Amino acid sequence: MSYPATVRVLFLLLATAFMPIASAGDDPVHERHELMEGVGDAAKPIGKMFKGERDYDMEVVMASLKTWHDASMRFGDLFPVGSETGEGTEAAPAIWEDRAGFDEALDKFRVATEAALAASPETLEAAKPAIGPVFETCKGCHDTYRIEDE
Amino acid sequence: MSRGTRTVAAFLAAGLVAAWWLTEPRPLAESDLPDHSPVAEAGERIFWAGGCASCHASPVDGKRARKEKKLLLGGGLELETPYGVFRVPNISSHRQDGIGGWSMIQFVNAMQRGISPGGRHYYPSFPYTSYAKMAVTDVMDLKAYLDTLPSVSGRIAEHTLAFPWNLRRGIGAWKWRYLGAGPVIEFESADEALQRGRELVEGAGHCGECHTGRDRFGGMIASRWLGGAPNPEGKGRIPNITPAGKNTAEWSTGDIAYYLESGFTPEYDTVGGSMVAVQENMAMLTPEDRKAVAAYLKAIPAIADEARR
Repeated sequence: MSYPATVRVLFLLLATAFMPIASAGDDPVHERHELMEGVGDAAKPIGKMFKGERDYDMEVVMASLKTWHDASMRFGDLFPVGSETGEGTEAAPAIWEDRAGFDEALDKFRVATEAALAASPETLEAAKPAIGPVFETCKGCHDTYRIEDE
Repeated sequence: MSRGTRTVAAFLAAGLVAAWWLTEPRPLAESDLPDHSPVAEAGERIFWAGGCASCHASPVDGKRARKEKKLLLGGGLELETPYGVFRVPNISSHRQDGIGGWSMIQFVNAMQRGISPGGRHYYPSFPYTSYAKMAVTDVMDLKAYLDTLPSVSGRIAEHTLAFPWNLRRGIGAWKWRYLGAGPVIEFESADEALQRGRELVEGAGHCGECHTGRDRFGGMIASRWLGGAPNPEGKGRIPNITPAGKNTAEWSTGDIAYYLESGFTPEYDTVGGSMVAVQENMAMLTPEDRKAVAAYLKAIPAIADEARR
C-alpha cells in the first residue's frame, strides 16, 4: 500500500503523539510488572555466578546493577493512587497505606545498588559482599509491600 | 433391674472402660531415654530446623518477632482456627511461667507423645505428630539449648475451643491413628543425605503440617505427603513440594538449597507468605543440611496437584 509522503508523516506523528502518554502511566500496573520482571532477569546471571554455575563476568554484573539502579529510580512513579488493583497485581495495600515506608524501602534499594555500582566488583569475592545488601532489599520490601499470589 | 437393662448397663460400662483405656495418655518412662549427654550447640541446629520461634517467640507490636527477639520464647501468639482460638504457650526457661522447671523426660513426652507434665494430652496444633519422628537424642539436645535461652515471665491463657474439641481426653483416641515414630517415606537407599533430609523434613522441620492435606479428623494424609494443602492461615493453597509440584518441579537440588538459604526462587522472585519465617530459620542451618532437605524433596513420591475446588 502506498500513501503520499505527507500522509505517512501524519501517521507517524499520530502514532508517536500517543506513545508518551502510554509510557507515562496509562497502565502502571503492567509497566511496573514488566520493570519487576526485568529486575528478576538481571538477578539471574548474578545468582548463577554466586552459586558457582557460571564464571564471574564483571561486565554482566555491572549491566545488571545498572538495570536495578534504573528500576529503583522508576518504581516510585508506578504506584499512583488508583492503581491498587487489577491485572493480578501483587502490590500490597500497605504501599498506599504507608507510602512513606514504601518510599523508604525503595530508597534502600537505590542506595544499595549505588553502593554496589561504586564498588565496581572485579571478582566474585568482591561481588558477594557488594551485592548481598541489594538482594536483602528485595526481600525486605517484598515482605511488607507485596501480597502472596497462590 | 431387668436382665435386659443389666445387659445394656454392662455393655455401656464396658464401652466406657474401653474408651477410657483407649484415650489414656501413654507417656514414655524415664528408663526409655537413651544414654546421652545433651549438647546445647547441637540443640541450636534443631531449634532452627524446628522453627520453634515462629510460633513461640512473643510477638513484637503485634507482629512476628525478628532477629534476636526470636530467642524470647514467651508465647502469646493466637491462632484462630475453625476449632477455636489456640494460644501459644510460654516455652522460655522461666521456671514457673515457661518450661525451665521441666525434667528431661517431661520435655521428651511433650515433644514426642504430646503429653504435658501434668499428664494431659496436648492438641496437635503443637505439631508433636512430626516431632515424634525425631531422634530422641535430638530432642534432648534441643532441651539443653532451650535451657540456655532467656527466661520470659508471663503465663499464657488456655485455648478457647468449642465443643467437642474442648474435650482433651478424646485426643488420646486420635493419637492411636495419627501418632507414630516411624518414618513417612521409606527409602531403599541408605544414602546419608536422604536420611538426614528425612529427619529434618518429617521430624523437626514439620514441613508436612502445612504442605500435606488433612482428612476430616485433621490428620495428615500419608498418601498425599507434601502434595499441597489449603492454607491453614488464610486464602489460597500451600504448594505441592513433591517432584510433581507445579511451582518447584523444575528446581534442581541446588535451586532448593539456595532458596532455603537466600529466599530467592530460580526466577529471582522472593519467598513469600508464611514461608518467609520458615526460610529465615532454614538459613540458619548448614549448607549440608539444606542440601539434605533438597535431596529428600527430590526423592519422595511425586503427587499430582489436586484439582482446584
